[in-house]
Amino acid sequence: MTDSLKPEKQLKQWQASASFELIKLRADTLRTIRSFFDKNGLLEVDTPILSSASVPDPFIESFQTRYIPLTQTMQTEDYYLHTSPEFPMKRLLASGSGSIYQVSKVFRQGESGRKHNPEFTLLEWYRDGWDHHQLMHEVCQLLTLILSPDIELAEPQFLSYEDAFQTVLGINPHTVDKADLLACAEKAGLANVLDDNEHRDRFLELLFSHTIEPSLGKKRGKNKGKNRGESNELPCICLLYHYPASQASLAKTAVQNGQLIAERFEVFIDGMELGNGFHELNDAKEQKARFEADNQARKKMGHNEIPMDDNFLEAVGHLPECAGVAIGIERLLMIMSQSQHINDVIAFPFDRA
Amino acid sequence: MATYSTNEFRSGLKLMIDGDPCVIIDNEVVKPGKGQAFNRIKIRNLKSGRVVERTYKSGESVEAADVMDTELQYLYNDGEQWHFMHPETFEQMSADKTAVGDAKLWMKEQDMCTVTLWNGNPLAVTPPNFVVLSVTDTDPGLKGDTSGGGGKPATLETGAVVQVPLFIAIGEALKIDTRTGKYVSRAKD
Repeated sequence: MTDSLKPEKQLKQWQASASFELIKLRADTLRTIRSFFDKNGLLEVDTPILSSASVPDPFIESFQTRYIPLTQTMQTEDYYLHTSPEFPMKRLLASGSGSIYQVSKVFRQGESGRKHNPEFTLLEWYRDGWDHHQLMHEVCQLLTLILSPDIELAEPQFLSYEDAFQTVLGINPHTVDKADLLACAEKAGLANVLDDNEHRDRFLELLFSHTIEPSLGKKRGKNKGKNRGESNELPCICLLYHYPASQASLAKTAVQNGQLIAERFEVFIDGMELGNGFHELNDAKEQKARFEADNQARKKMGHNEIPMDDNFLEAVGHLPECAGVAIGIERLLMIMSQSQHINDVIAFPFDRA
Repeated sequence: MATYSTNEFRSGLKLMIDGDPCVIIDNEVVKPGKGQAFNRIKIRNLKSGRVVERTYKSGESVEAADVMDTELQYLYNDGEQWHFMHPETFEQMSADKTAVGDAKLWMKEQDMCTVTLWNGNPLAVTPPNFVVLSVTDTDPGLKGDTSGGGGKPATLETGAVVQVPLFIAIGEALKIDTRTGKYVSRAKD
């Protein structure tokens, strides 16, 4: 007698883990995206996947490889697979490209799990002359266009990072001190996850990912008479904006209600992060200082330092006022198909690649 | 002392947590696009059976639990201890009430069981997924009623009581799913 709890069909290792229905959904979604941007007058661009420099972000690791000249007489050189096409796309903007978009495969070392594949598909676009508020609305428009044929969505939710923390935890993330963060973590059952001497941003990230993120992008829908009293939760597009200035990354900072904030936003649907956007920093000196601080942080963590992308840093000084965002296509497909694992939406995920 | 790094976390891995041996039943990587990664695991305490959640900063290490599953044959119960034997080495081992737990409801002498050892001592006993046990007591069988509608309790040779169809009579051998404690069918011999 066979074990009755075994899955009905065992896939062979050589076979695709995504169904043809979902392989087709990916093709259809990419077609919708391209037609949306064509209609809105954005230019599709193509930038290198392999680059001599990479991001110094302490929490994003690049795949590193080497260029070996055929003659073998020259020295080999380090190269990196890009983690997003951000730097070369901004070099195009700085050269006067106007608004652009790109769909490309990107690579992140060590990121593997239910919602992560080390190689994934990123849709990234930039709006020349826009700020992050305008772009957030376009993100909403595009995602509604893509999702609404497949799933019922509640009204979009626009929420500041501060309001999210106030609502769920009753703390102001910009001003809360370490002692209160520690107490908050303990109350949430997250005591001793981090050392007390870790940066306060790590505590904000811990609290955010465990207690706030799971509730973002979910809304109680309108009850349609029947089933009264039953919870009727619908997914919605949630745009969370104005991160702490210390998490600005490549975003401009601004003073809002007397508080320095980052003009950065993220997109969530049904408790899952789908993308990240910035009102793009165009101050080369500031950008260089942030990269240097990133490399310092990497050094402290025992990670290798990443060579500065001088081409990018020079271009930042010529970058027009613009806003940009990147959306993970696999996550989007997971939402559309209500898949529980990223492997369900990739023909050959990492363990079959 | 053996340890496992968070990147080795997967279902089934045995860890020492708060001094107790535990098994990972779910591992989720929580990684903001930009920010610190965490591993959020669901673990079952192998002593108490309780399931709890724990979060670790990715890259940390956790002590491994010296926990091992062995297939042993159940011999007999002397009133206090349940005795098992390794089918090849004939080595014998006994487990107490706490380790045996509910498995005693489904264990028939000479059946093979999974005995989980912690530091070499029995920690838990898992019966086979399906066992065949005979009925020692139930209301008289209703001949001809094979509809499966309705049911009645039946006591099995181990003392366990399960719901069975009305047509089952004393002395019949039944196949039971030990994970649900439910009747599956009459045993075909």
